[in-house]
Amino acid sequence: MTAISPSEGANKTRSDLLAYATLTIISIFCAVPFFWVLLASFDGNAQLFLRWPEQWTLANYVRVFTKEDGAKWLFNSLFVVGGATLIVMVLAGLGGYALSRTRAWWKLPFLYAILLIRVLPPTALVVPLYKFLLTLNNAEGAILRPIFGSYARDIMRWTGFIDGYLGIMLVLATMQLPLALWIMKTFFDGLPRDYEEAAVMDGATMMQRIRRVLIPLAMPGLAAAGLFAFMSAWGDFLLPLIFLSSPELQTLPLGLFRAFLRINEIDYGLLTALAFIYLLPAVVAFGFARRFLVQTFSGGVKG
Amino acid sequence: MINLRNVRKFYGALEVIKGVDITVEDGEFAVFVGPSGCGKSTLLRMIAGLEGIDEGDLVLNGQRINDVPPDKRGIAMVFQSYALYPHMTVAENIGFSLSLKKVPETEIKKQVEGVAEILQLTDYLSRKPGALSGGQRQRVAIGRAIIKKPSLILFDEPLSNLDSALRVQMRAELQRLHRELKATVVYVTHDQVEAMTMADRIVVLNKGVVAQQGAPMELYHQPENEFVATFIGSPKMNVLPMTATRRDAGKVHLESPLGLAIDLTDANGSVPQGEAKLGIRPEHLKLAPQGQGDFSAEVVIVERLGVETYLTVGSQQQPIVVRTEGDMTIRPGDRVSLTAERAACHLFDSTGRVLRSAQI
Amino acid sequence: MARNSHEKRTERQLLLVLLPSLVLLLAFVIYPALYSVYLSFTNEALTGAAALRPRFVGIRNYVRLFNDAKFWNSLFVTFVFVMGSAVIGQFVLGLISAMALRRPIRFRQFFSSIILLPNAAPEVVAGFMWISMLAGGEHATLSRIVAFFGINPTDWLNAFPLSMIIIVNTWRGIATAMILLTAGLSTIPAEIYEAARMDGATPSQMFRRITLPLMMPTILLYMLISAVSTIAVFGLVYALTRGGPGGATEVVSIYIYNQSFTAFQLGYGAAVAVVALIISLILGIGYVRAMKVEV
Repeated sequence: MTAISPSEGANKTRSDLLAYATLTIISIFCAVPFFWVLLASFDGNAQLFLRWPEQWTLANYVRVFTKEDGAKWLFNSLFVVGGATLIVMVLAGLGGYALSRTRAWWKLPFLYAILLIRVLPPTALVVPLYKFLLTLNNAEGAILRPIFGSYARDIMRWTGFIDGYLGIMLVLATMQLPLALWIMKTFFDGLPRDYEEAAVMDGATMMQRIRRVLIPLAMPGLAAAGLFAFMSAWGDFLLPLIFLSSPELQTLPLGLFRAFLRINEIDYGLLTALAFIYLLPAVVAFGFARRFLVQTFSGGVKG
Repeated sequence: MINLRNVRKFYGALEVIKGVDITVEDGEFAVFVGPSGCGKSTLLRMIAGLEGIDEGDLVLNGQRINDVPPDKRGIAMVFQSYALYPHMTVAENIGFSLSLKKVPETEIKKQVEGVAEILQLTDYLSRKPGALSGGQRQRVAIGRAIIKKPSLILFDEPLSNLDSALRVQMRAELQRLHRELKATVVYVTHDQVEAMTMADRIVVLNKGVVAQQGAPMELYHQPENEFVATFIGSPKMNVLPMTATRRDAGKVHLESPLGLAIDLTDANGSVPQGEAKLGIRPEHLKLAPQGQGDFSAEVVIVERLGVETYLTVGSQQQPIVVRTEGDMTIRPGDRVSLTAERAACHLFDSTGRVLRSAQI
Repeated sequence: MARNSHEKRTERQLLLVLLPSLVLLLAFVIYPALYSVYLSFTNEALTGAAALRPRFVGIRNYVRLFNDAKFWNSLFVTFVFVMGSAVIGQFVLGLISAMALRRPIRFRQFFSSIILLPNAAPEVVAGFMWISMLAGGEHATLSRIVAFFGINPTDWLNAFPLSMIIIVNTWRGIATAMILLTAGLSTIPAEIYEAARMDGATPSQMFRRITLPLMMPTILLYMLISAVSTIAVFGLVYALTRGGPGGATEVVSIYIYNQSFTAFQLGYGAAVAVVALIISLILGIGYVRAMKVEV
């Protein structure tokens, strides 16, 4: 709309200026905290407070990998969260399709249950979950130890429920499932059945239909669900804290947290470099996920 | 009375309204009509004050109102989607403008009830727009407009969202309301049937320019250019390319590649030699006995509507539509002979300007 | 309803496909939730006499809860935390951002990216970034900012712990509010604002009498979503204050953590967890109804 009179025109530019001003203030508020992580990680003599580095260096980043177990933490995080994301994408891709297409009696209760599960605070579930996984762990140990003897412990590192990759991956995946299932269900709802019906007429079985027709069509939805699951699991601190104790399995948030708990001098350069490494994948994933943010949430508004 | 004098509007470098002059008298029902993109909605919004006027004057009752804010112009508008406030009742919707000015509740109630009675909305005052039919919603939108006692009411394609049966009904109602309220109305539509049936004055717009303005029958009988001639009237006027050669004074001879040769009166000698276009409406072409008439052609399509029949004759490059009364049992492939009513012939030059109007 | 055998077979297949998700959710969410309820009625602990022989103790944990000042404190702290950051902070800033971004100004992508960024930062990193902002007395970034305005800096996290975590959580959550509210704003047709303009409404009248009422469903939905996610916040507060000083920022999730893993009182911790679960479920049911789930 164009200006219609000198006074209303001035009003419009005034409103626009106000918009610029408020957005700038809010943006500064949002951006400032990041500066420290950015600057101090390249600072040769980094401090807790924000300052312009006197000497720029990459030594902090090097120290993350040499002095600390940065490589191990990074690998563990990528492996665990990546694995969990894959599990989520597969299960939510299939499950979301089922939820969308089924007309059975259990559809509505299941959907309500998903929504309700999403509101449960994880801290309330951690303790019983721990006991449950401990039981499973012991059972698994009881089966594996007679067969593999001393190797059982190494195997359990991968397949164990407590302090094992399998356990943490499954738990992380489960926590992301409700949102992912919801996203995929809404996505498939919006996909016309014509494609599947054509495939049925061509004689495809359900698995064939899923693999060859639906998955290619579902890529955008899967990408969205996967990115959100990744970002959420990547940032998860509580679950690794509870379920991982041996040093070999520590993930980035735990490494970061422990680096901060040093009794002697805290190495802020190393800390911020580590924080930046931890931050980067999340921001990258966020950059990709931006497109999907609006669609996902508008779907929520319309129900 | 409302005047637009040499009004122009630009979107960036693009001129969308190119010097428009329009006058609407008090109490007139004026219809702005034209194809999509001709600028009719833009003009309406400029009159309302929702869009700015870059050059020229908008004068209402003697006052230049270019810079007056929309709510202070004494103009009310009925939007295409009606734009009723979904969370307010009918009464609240109608009375909204009054409540903004802090008019006392009792006064608002009185005025709202008065308006509701005129529009037969009294039973619906406490309902919300979601619970109303399309026709009722339109009446609420009109109510919201007339409660402001405007000098001018603007309508932006109000019937385009309704189904055809409802549209006919609402056309009649709008005309009735116009007579009762004695209001001045500017009405925008793309439907020339609406324009012809409802308007006291039609303004035909094309690509940001006024092609012609006047009473409906004026535009029907005396179109000033080819655009208006083919826009007004359904089915469209047939336009046939011809070559003009002078016979003797007062008459001009025209020939077309189709084999049609006619002589038309040309008292002023305004028709030059060379290319010209003959315009004749389907209803002014008559079937003649075989072999007689001005020309013959092969029937391609027959559309029988009972009360009338439309024949499309000729070739694909040059189809000619003929309207005949009653039912005809002519079949595609038959040859027919046709006569053109001389007095109803229009002539246009190659730019579309009228050379000779019908003499009806 | 599936009638013929083909349809029935399809339905069975669909259920089969959903089964793995169902199993995981049952095992790792539903079962722990139910087990939590059971635990809350026992005196399970990891140390002390009860560790060896846990017994069913009925509602003793709940009675203890009821009389525990620290429990009520955590509920109060959580309530203030939710009110301050979700209901007020994120909502106001999110609404302002959403409305400002609808205007035809330049750099919209840039602004919205920056405003959404805090949400992308993992909890722990967010915590540390703000420790740098707030801790360190007069060298802290916030101190230097307020010193510029002539205010005396203090040790923010110790002096105003609750206010600080509210600010940090607001910072983190503007994104969610902005996205949801933008979606809600876009459902209001532009013509309604034009009609209001013709009726003579000022911008403030338009906001109060048109925007706000029409946004109510979205706002309600947002409040529910943000309330439940704020109740669940753990890592951020833990990294900043560990729940202190003296329980000033001990939100419910930290109280549960402390009881279960520091005091090792599993039964008691479970009781608190059950209370948190119930509160969340009540909000959740409101959320479900507001969502008007479509089948």
